[in-house]
Amino acid sequence: MAEPSDLGNLPRATVEPPKRTRISVIWIIPILAALVAIGIAVQRIRSEGPTITIAFAAAEGIEAGKTFIKYKDVNIGRVTKVELSDDYVLVLVTAKIAKHAAGLMVQDAKFWVVRPTISLSGVSGLSTLLSGNYIGFEPGKSQESEVTFVGLDEAPVAAGQQGRQFVLNASDLGSLEVGSPIYYRRLQVGQVAGYNLTPDGKAVQVKIFINAPYDKYVLPGTRFWVASGIDVSLNADGVNVHTESLVALLVGGLAFDLPPFEPSGQPAAANTVFTLYGDRAIAMKAPDAIMRQFVLHFNEPLRGLSVGAPVTLLGLPAGEVTSVGLELDEAKANIRPQVLVTLYPERLLADSEVKSGKPADIRDARKREAFLRRLIEERGLRGQLKSGSLLTGQLYVAFDYYPKAPKVKLDLSQKVPELPVVPSTLVELEAKLGGILDKVDKMPLDAIGNDLKKDLESLDETLASAKKLMNDADAQLVPQFKKALEDLHGTLVAVEKAMTSANVSLLNSDAPAQQDLRDALQEFARAARALRVLADQLERQPSSVIRGKTESMSGGK
Amino acid sequence: MNALGLSAAQAGLVCCRTCNLLSRPAQRDTPGYCPRCGATLVLRKHNSIQYTWAFLIAAAICYIPANALPVLTTTTLGETESDTIMGGVIFLYTSGSWPLALIVLIASVMIPLGKILALGYLLITVQRGSVANMHDRARIYYLVEFIGRWSMLDVFVDAFVVALVQLEPLMSVEPGSGVVFFMAVVILTMLAAQTFDARLIWDSARRVEVAHG
Repeated sequence: MAEPSDLGNLPRATVEPPKRTRISVIWIIPILAALVAIGIAVQRIRSEGPTITIAFAAAEGIEAGKTFIKYKDVNIGRVTKVELSDDYVLVLVTAKIAKHAAGLMVQDAKFWVVRPTISLSGVSGLSTLLSGNYIGFEPGKSQESEVTFVGLDEAPVAAGQQGRQFVLNASDLGSLEVGSPIYYRRLQVGQVAGYNLTPDGKAVQVKIFINAPYDKYVLPGTRFWVASGIDVSLNADGVNVHTESLVALLVGGLAFDLPPFEPSGQPAAANTVFTLYGDRAIAMKAPDAIMRQFVLHFNEPLRGLSVGAPVTLLGLPAGEVTSVGLELDEAKANIRPQVLVTLYPERLLADSEVKSGKPADIRDARKREAFLRRLIEERGLRGQLKSGSLLTGQLYVAFDYYPKAPKVKLDLSQKVPELPVVPSTLVELEAKLGGILDKVDKMPLDAIGNDLKKDLESLDETLASAKKLMNDADAQLVPQFKKALEDLHGTLVAVEKAMTSANVSLLNSDAPAQQDLRDALQEFARAARALRVLADQLERQPSSVIRGKTESMSGGK
Repeated sequence: MNALGLSAAQAGLVCCRTCNLLSRPAQRDTPGYCPRCGATLVLRKHNSIQYTWAFLIAAAICYIPANALPVLTTTTLGETESDTIMGGVIFLYTSGSWPLALIVLIASVMIPLGKILALGYLLITVQRGSVANMHDRARIYYLVEFIGRWSMLDVFVDAFVVALVQLEPLMSVEPGSGVVFFMAVVILTMLAAQTFDARLIWDSARRVEVAHG
């Protein structure tokens, strides 16, 4: 084997291994630690929900790290920071929401601070006494997620409840407050959820919430009225006291119902705006399509007649008094009472239409006027002031037939026609009494007095002459009378003597007449005894009359 | 000869880590076993710097969750409250007992952090062959090693509280996951201090001396 000489120049392999950085197994420990830490971090980040900010007007009882956000009593988040806004007006509450509740954080979600509330209408949030205040939550319907919210001052009344909200327009809030009950047929079906002034400040908008099974009774035609406290009204009908319930009596409330004339149908949509009426009577009044104003000129004081007093037609409510005042007549330098009334003929006709099944002719304006003219001119329909209540002295206007009333012509051409009136019965009575007094006043009492005086004088004279006559009679008659009496006395003495002798002969026990009488009576007694014996005999033995007295009978004795 | 003296390794000798007997190594690379106590003799700890770094980095990583995660979960009357170490310090401070807060702050937050930083400083200076403050660094190392045995105090307190406070309906305490990481920090820093060979501090000075001398 030939060895190439240049092979000897080849470099020798080194015995030392090339220097390498040896990485020890110990590095598994930090890698493991890092993996665990990263794993936990990833899990935390993945399980972490969004961080939201809620702006509250006040952070009553909210503490960072201790206050929870609860939905259906489940913690869905925790407050992590409480700070003031940049302008120091609001409290910005930062909260971490749990991952599982992240989907709830949508635009119209609601937050509010739950604190214990004790009011007349109920006790709520008692659990916060132990656990501290927490932030209540109600999910919204929006799909847009959101991380900044504005917290509510008060809990929404119907948090988590099914139902619908409506809006009522009222002139003032009355005794309502958030949580005031709402009644339907005296059943509490909802609450007042909130209220606010309209932007112009002239009305109040009350938000109400009707709970689910009952919200279907709110129809577009439903009327709402205030059932606040005790409702005492004093009018011509007397004293009305009306209340819904004790709670409503104390805290006020609302009630609603469907007036009978309103059609039933589909429930009203949520947030429908209704008018809030002052009381049930006003709320349930039918709307009056046909109405006309008339003027009445009463020639008597109007004290006791107030605006709103009823106007009745044959005793049925047909309208109301809209104005009471005086009418000036400068030309005649005269003022007279003037009463404006509004009549709603529909109210009287609804029923008749139902019965006849066709619209009454009265709906036609011209026919109506003609009918009214006939009523007044031919039948004698007249207005009259009547006292509705003796207690209160309230008056109302009644239209009735007075066929004997003087005929009038009805002028319907004016905008506000005048209807004829008759004086009220009270005034009539007054007038009659006045007439009587006038007659009494006109009597010639002085002349009568003079005559009477003369008569008395002549009577005096007559009596004087009578006395004289008596004196004459006394002087002439008495002596003769005395003599006559003396004669009478003598006669009587003679009579007495005769009587005494008669007495001796008849009544003395020894008098012969008496002796005879006694003997006769004794004889009579004996005869009677014999007769009784005979009667006994006959009773025992009737045959003895024929056969004679038997021995056996006597022997048996 | 100088103030630092001659190191055993330079003199071709090896000192037993267990019984401190100075002996001649069997071979230069594998010194063998101590003739007196039988412990393995090492001139310098094997991969000391690398091991220390590994434990230190692991400890630093664990330090973050140890502080971020709750160490105690207290349930009082149905209300659950989780406290991190720092939360506990703040709670103690705001509730007025600032000395306690200070103790917890020093024992549970500053000392582990200080240990990590101190060991990091030692490692970096040794790696860079720094000759400055060698005595101070040696003191720091012994301090770190001394403190290590007391660092489990927090873990013990946690364990005691969890074991004792179990008044079920009223109040109960559960350990949080942070305490596991805190324990890991303590163990890892102890291990790091253990694996760090303090003799390395002086070795770099020696190299410089040799280079200059």
